[in-house]
Order: sequence, then C-alpha cells, then structure tokens
Amino acid sequence: MIDFFIGLFLASFIVALFSGRLYKLIFWYAFNALTLGIITLLVGAQIDDIALIISGSITLILKAGIIPFILKRSAKRFHLKREITSNIPIQYSILLVPSIIIFTLYLAEPMSSMIGVNSQYIAISISSFFLALILMIEHKNIAPKIIAFLMMENALFLLGTTATYGMPMFIELGIFIDVMIAIVIINLLFKEEAIR
Amino acid sequence: MILYILTILLLLLIAPLLTGLIKSIKMFLLYKRPVSIFQPYANFNKLLVKELVISHESSAITHLAPWMILSPLLVTLLFLPPIFQGAYYIGFVDAFTIIGLLSLSTFFLMLLGLDGGNAFGGMGSSREAFIASLVEPAMVLTIFSVGLIGKNLGVGNVALNLSTHFPVEHAASFLFAGLSFFILLLAENGRLPIDNPETHLELTMVHEAMILDISGLYLAIIEMASSLKFVIFSSLFVTLFIPYGLNLIAPLALLVFVGKLILVSMVVALIEVNGAKLRLFKVPNLLGIAIVFAFLSLITFYLLGV
Amino acid sequence: MILFYLIAPALIMFVLSFLHHRLLNRILPITTLMILIPIVYLFGLEKPYTIIGNYWVATQLNSYILLISSIVAIGVTFALVTLKRRVRIENRSYVLFYRFFALFWIGLIISILANNMGIYWIGLEMATLSTVYMIKTNQSKHASKEAWNYMIVGAIAISLILFGIILIYASAKPILGEDAMNFALLQEHINEIKNPFLFELGFVIVSLGMFIKMGFFPMNLWLANIERASFYPVAALFSGILESAILVGFFHFSTIAIEIDRGATFSFVFIYLSLTLFLVSFLIYRSKDFMRLFSLSGVEHMILIILFWISGGYYAALLHFGAHAFLKPALFLSTGVLESNGQYKISGTLRGYQGWRGKSFAVIVGLFLLAIIGLPPSPMFFSEIYGFEAIIHLANQEDYYLWIIAALIVLLLLLSIIFYKFIEIYQSMRYEGEAESKIVYTNEWSFALLFLLATLTLLLPQTTTYLKAIYG
Repeated sequence: MIDFFIGLFLASFIVALFSGRLYKLIFWYAFNALTLGIITLLVGAQIDDIALIISGSITLILKAGIIPFILKRSAKRFHLKREITSNIPIQYSILLVPSIIIFTLYLAEPMSSMIGVNSQYIAISISSFFLALILMIEHKNIAPKIIAFLMMENALFLLGTTATYGMPMFIELGIFIDVMIAIVIINLLFKEEAIR
Repeated sequence: MILYILTILLLLLIAPLLTGLIKSIKMFLLYKRPVSIFQPYANFNKLLVKELVISHESSAITHLAPWMILSPLLVTLLFLPPIFQGAYYIGFVDAFTIIGLLSLSTFFLMLLGLDGGNAFGGMGSSREAFIASLVEPAMVLTIFSVGLIGKNLGVGNVALNLSTHFPVEHAASFLFAGLSFFILLLAENGRLPIDNPETHLELTMVHEAMILDISGLYLAIIEMASSLKFVIFSSLFVTLFIPYGLNLIAPLALLVFVGKLILVSMVVALIEVNGAKLRLFKVPNLLGIAIVFAFLSLITFYLLGV
Repeated sequence: MILFYLIAPALIMFVLSFLHHRLLNRILPITTLMILIPIVYLFGLEKPYTIIGNYWVATQLNSYILLISSIVAIGVTFALVTLKRRVRIENRSYVLFYRFFALFWIGLIISILANNMGIYWIGLEMATLSTVYMIKTNQSKHASKEAWNYMIVGAIAISLILFGIILIYASAKPILGEDAMNFALLQEHINEIKNPFLFELGFVIVSLGMFIKMGFFPMNLWLANIERASFYPVAALFSGILESAILVGFFHFSTIAIEIDRGATFSFVFIYLSLTLFLVSFLIYRSKDFMRLFSLSGVEHMILIILFWISGGYYAALLHFGAHAFLKPALFLSTGVLESNGQYKISGTLRGYQGWRGKSFAVIVGLFLLAIIGLPPSPMFFSEIYGFEAIIHLANQEDYYLWIIAALIVLLLLLSIIFYKFIEIYQSMRYEGEAESKIVYTNEWSFALLFLLATLTLLLPQTTTYLKAIYG
C-alpha cells in the first residue's frame, strides 16, 4: 500500500513539472502533500509510532489543506500571473525526468545495504528532490518557485520518514513552524508588491 | 468458438453505438436535445446509398485506402483479449502486433489524406503523423509494462493473469500504465484534448481534414473504421486496466463488459465537455506526460513492490 | 530559563513593533541594547552549560560567537538611528525592520546555541526567512527582485542542509537512536557508526548547502547582488551575524567529519575553497563599488576561516572570525557615509571630512580598510600567520607535503591580488578625486569607535588565552 502512495507521490511531482497553470500546480502540490500525509500515517501505523502518526496528521491538515488554500487565496488576491511557462522545452523535460529517476536509483544503490529500510524509497525521495529543483529552475515566475520550494520540503519529509522512520518529534514540529513562517513571509512580500 | 465469433460480431455491432452514445451524452450535458444513440447506424445507412464522388487528381490509392484502413482493424478485432473465462482467444499475438496493425491503418489514412491533393488533406496528414509518432513510444512502453505486470506479453494472457490474481504490490505501476493508456486512447481516437471530432474548422481539425473530400461508401467505411478503433482501444483498456468481472458466468461477464465500455464512453464524454482542445503545439506536452507515465510505470515496476 | 532571558529582548521588540506610538523609533533601539545583558551573563557562566535537557549547550565556542554577534547587532542599531538621513526609507519599514530583526535574533540564538542538528537547522531557517523581509525594507524594484532571489536560493541552500542532516541522522540512528542528532554525543560515538559513507555523503551535502549560502563557488555574485540591493545595515547584519550562524554549524559538522576521515574532508573542502578563491579574487579585482567589494571580500574571509578550521588552526580560525565579524560590518555601515555622495564613486571618499569627529572617523575607516587585508596591527595579521602555520604543520604530517605547499602558494598569490586591489582602493580614496564635504553624525562616529575598540580587544592577552583554550 505504501508503494502505491509513493508512486502517486512521484507522479504528482511529474505532473506538476508539466503543468502550465498556477492553480493546477497548487492542486498538485496539495495532492502531493496528501499522499505524503497518507504515507506517513501508513509508516507510522506499520511501526506503531505515535510521533509519526501525529506528524502525518499535521501534514494532512497543514500542507494538504491550509497551505494550498492560503496560496490560492493570495494568488487570487494579488493577481498573480496564472499562466506559468516553463523555460525548459517539454521535449527536454521528457528526457530529463526519466534520466534523473534512473540516476538516483543508481545513487541509492550503495545505500541499500546501509539503511535497513527499502532503498527504493530513498531513491524516490532523492529523485523528487531533484525534480523539485528542476521545477524551481524551469519557471521564471515567482509563484511556481515557491511551490517548488514547498514541494522540496515535502521530498525531504519523505526522505526523513522513509530513511529514518521520522525525525524526533520536536524537530518535525519546528520544521512545520518554519514552513508556516515561510508562508507568512511570502504573503507579506506579495502584499508589499501589491501595495506598490 | 461460436462464442468467440459472436463476441466479435457484438463488438462490430456495438462500435457505432458507443460513438453515438458519446455524442448524445455530450449534447445532454450541454443542454441540447440529444440525438438518438442509434444515429451513427442511420448515418451509415445514408452514406451507403449516397453517390461516390472522387476527385480527378486522386490516384488508385483513394480506391484502395478505405479498405486498407478498415481491414487491419478487423484483423485486430480477432486478437482482442477474451471477455470471459474459458472463452476462445488467440494467445500467441502480442501487443506489438496490435500496435503494428493499428499503425498500418493510420498509415493508409494519412495516404488517403495526401492523395486527394487538396490543402487540408496534407495538413491533416502531417498533423496525424505528428501525433502518431508521439503516441507510438508511449504505447510500446505502456503495453510492455502491462506485460511485465501480467507476466506475459500476449494481450489475452495478460488480461487473464490480471483478472485471476491481481498483483497488488504493483498497484502504482499499474495505475501509471492505465493513465498513460487512457491518454493514448484519447489521442489515437481523435478525442477532445488532442483533436475535436465535431468541428470542420481548418485550424483545429486533424481527422476530419484527411477525409474532407471522401464521400459515399468510402466515407461510411472510414467512419466505421474510426468507431471500430475506439471500440478496440476501449475494450483493450477495460480488459487490461479494469480487470474485474472476467471470471463471472458468461452472460453476466458480457453484461459487465458492455457496462465497462459504456462507462469509458461516458468518461470520454465528460472529459470532452469539461475541457477545451489543446493548441496543436501543446499536444506534445500531453503526450509527453503519457510517455513519462509509461516510463514511470516501467521504472516503478522495478523500483517498488519487489 | 536562561534561554527565555536570551530570547526575551527579541520578544519584547517583536511585540513592541506592533504598537503604534510616535516614540516607537526611540524605544526600539533601546530594546536592542538589552540583548547584550543575558549574553554577557551567559558568557560568564561555567562552561559547558546545558540548557533544557541537552538540546542547547552553551560552550566556550558558541558563547564567544554569540557575544561577537550581539556587539555587531548593537553597532548596527547605532547606525540605524541616522539611516533616514542617508537613504530614502519610510517610517513603516523602519518598524518592520525591527520586527523581523527580532525574529532573526530568535532564530540566531536557537541555532548558535543548539547542540542538535535539527534544532540548529530550524533556527537557521528562521533566521534566513526573516532576513528576506529585511532586504525588502528597501523599496526599490531591484531590492524586491533580490529579496525573491534570496528567498529562492536561500531555500535551496537550506533544503540541501536539511537533506544532509537527514542522511547523517540515518547513518547514526542505528547506534544512537533519537540522540543521533546530538552534536556532542555524535562526536563521542562517531567511530562506532557502521556506515561512514552515508555520513560523508551527508556532510558533503550539508557543506554544499552552507557554501551556497555563504556565496561560494557556483553562487559567487549572489550574495554581493543582494547586499548591493539592500540597505547597508542589512548588509552588515548579513556579513556579521548570519554568516556566523552558518559557520557555527560548519564548525560542528566538520569537527565530526574530520574524526571520520581527515584526508578526505580536508581535500574536499580545500579544493572547493581554492576554486572559490580563484573566482573571487578576480571578481574583487573587477569590482567597482564598495558594497560588492566588501561582500566579495567577506566571501574571501569565510574561505580563510574555514580553511584554518579544517586544517586544525582553531585559534587562528576563531581569531580571524572575530576580527572579520567586527571589521566587515563596520565597513558596511560606514558605506552609509562613504557612499552618501554618489553610489559608485570610490575616489576621494576619505577626503573632505570636517571637525574632529569627521577627521577621526576618516582615520578609523581607513584603519578598518587596511586591517581587513591583514596589515600588521590588525588581528587578521596574526590569525593569518597562525592559520598558514597550521596548514604547513598539517602538510608535514601528510603524504602530500609538496602538493599542499604548492596549493598554498597559489592561494597566497590569489590573496595578493586582493591585497593589491584594496591598497589601490585605499590610495584612490585617500589621495585622488575631489574633496567633497561630508557630514558624520555622532552615532556613526560612535559605532566606528565601538568596532575599533572591539577589534582591539581581540588583541588582548586574555582573549588569546580564552580562544586558545577552546580547542586545546
């Protein structure tokens, strides 16, 4: 079951890479966070860890609910450009995406003996980190870059969940707070630009 | 064996019905008075009695092409996976043969478009070639990955394997292959995000541009071929990607199968109502997603659920 | 409890910034002065002093860095008083600056005192994000673009750091459990971990993130552009304080990495730094305005500090760090005066000062400029001597003696380019160009004096004993 959702997680990254509209991108971010939350809950249920279950539910509420809502609202309020064009032509992306996935697969190969858990999960989280980087590079507008940053955060969260069965509770809460601060500051910056 | 032949006859008969169904659902959803779902049959009848007009510039290809468009599809019909357990099916044919036959049909369609010598035909053919060349790699990858999941390359065997014991550990891979195949279904049949089947606007048409100056019997054949193609694709889709109901008793399984086909038509109609046609140069984006998904499905087959 | 006292002034500042009072602009600087009190108290305590169950530990190293940062912060506050007369700034952004400075300070204390990788990261991210808005206090279009740039590149850098931290945590979790994030504990047990490869990969990624954030190799002009676009106090905060938080983290991670494999760590960092220095020295040679010049020179000094640290010259690195943390913000802040007559003018900026205050200010700034390239009385001179000695000492133990010496000579050649450029700039400031009259306000004079005194304290024998005691 975890496999299925990790597959969906990666798929949402790829669809986000190819989407040309801001609202769609926000939707895919929310979907991504949703699968991430479900993965965390499943892993938490599997190893019977309360901390993971808590952080999974926070992910579901915060990243899949509140943050996309805020992003969409501020995109509406500050009249962000809704059409987002990619700098990298699509034909190159088609070649790039699979090659990144294969590359990370080989990168994670030596790790499989070191980490007890499934090394493929680590490969996928690393490749989604790179995909988020590409998402950040390929867009010129600021809004997709922010979403890419948030998706990068998700990829790292998945890495934390799968490679180490979650970081200590205290730190995960801190990371959530940081994400919230980031959202507040992004909103403020947009507001400042709208005023001028 | 009798059942096998009957199934093929059923598919032949149901093909225009599905096309009509999509059309009437669309009209219903757009608050128009829907045409009868049997309208394609009436059209077919009408075209049979119409006079055959052929352009002076055209060569023998125009006389040959309609038959060559239809016949590979008819052959493909013989190779489709079984509809219920125990039915006769041709197991040695793998998916690549089917892809090849479909491409042959498309090839003659393009030739037909070129042969008329008018501007629209050439345009339509070049667009069709553009789309077909993008569809092909995704199609091969998808079918290959489904073959891996079903542990066999023959479509019939894959369908049986999937229905008897579904590999849950490959669910993600299966889902991606399904998504990719559905996009290909839309693309190959000239449905909406890729091509609008209803319009005769020169900027947008692909399929219609190629058959613009065909009339009478030949048009009837081509219309028949295009609805057959839809039926082939959707029955492949439902047997491979919705592999339930195969092990029921024969009449019930048949009913379920037809139900699934109608479901696919309804989904296609919904997509057509809700979406707009993509700009031609945006088409590679959608097909690119299909290719990436097909590839992803192949990768996740090896990555996950080992 | 001590953590609360450390954060309290910042919290007060944060709350005050939401009030609407006409005296607010006078109250806020005074609250900034309060940040020094708990830090001096912390400095006097017995070390190591654990705060809240080992999550934060005040050691000699980080309380020293915290003390330096707080002095810099106070100097910046001095300069802020007359910012309004130097640049066009709204009253509102002034208050906003203090609000985000408060957040920045909280993040900084969390990260500098942290004894836990995760908490260190949380503090660093908080500090990074709050500086984004500080750049935006400048209302120009350019600054807005650079604020976004900072946000994005900073986010990439910080994500890389988290990525590395997760890998390091994964490498040590089998033996240490949840405590694998504890720096001190990890250092004790580092030789027991079963997969050093994972740790090294994590270290490389962490240092890559940190290097990007400090403006190293692929991102050489990134920081310079941002500091150019923002107001000079913000640039001073960047170079004086934010970099120190990153450096603390690098100190923690690299000491652990050195325990695992000294040679590999040293060669990775050394090659990376040489590449950066190669680019930076030529960029400095080509730079045409003060802000970019100082910010690139900041990159150069970061290189030297890191180089001294990984080659075992801890005293040299810390002394260099202290000297740089005082001198560079001082120079950034004095650009307010230097650039007041035209932005991109260098020649003649040290001429035309009236009155004893102005004249002494010019002398002090000239001294700063010469001190930053390490002319003898400056602490940088001694730190560089000690640092290069440490490198040679290290080279003696290694098999690659000649290689390291050759690389060192190349480094010195590159440094001499920078040296030449600074001397040239000093001469052009002092002897060329028109003598336009400039005003120096009391507060500007006093921050210059503050930084001068602070730099001189580094030369005291007591400071030397303190710094030498930090790492044997």
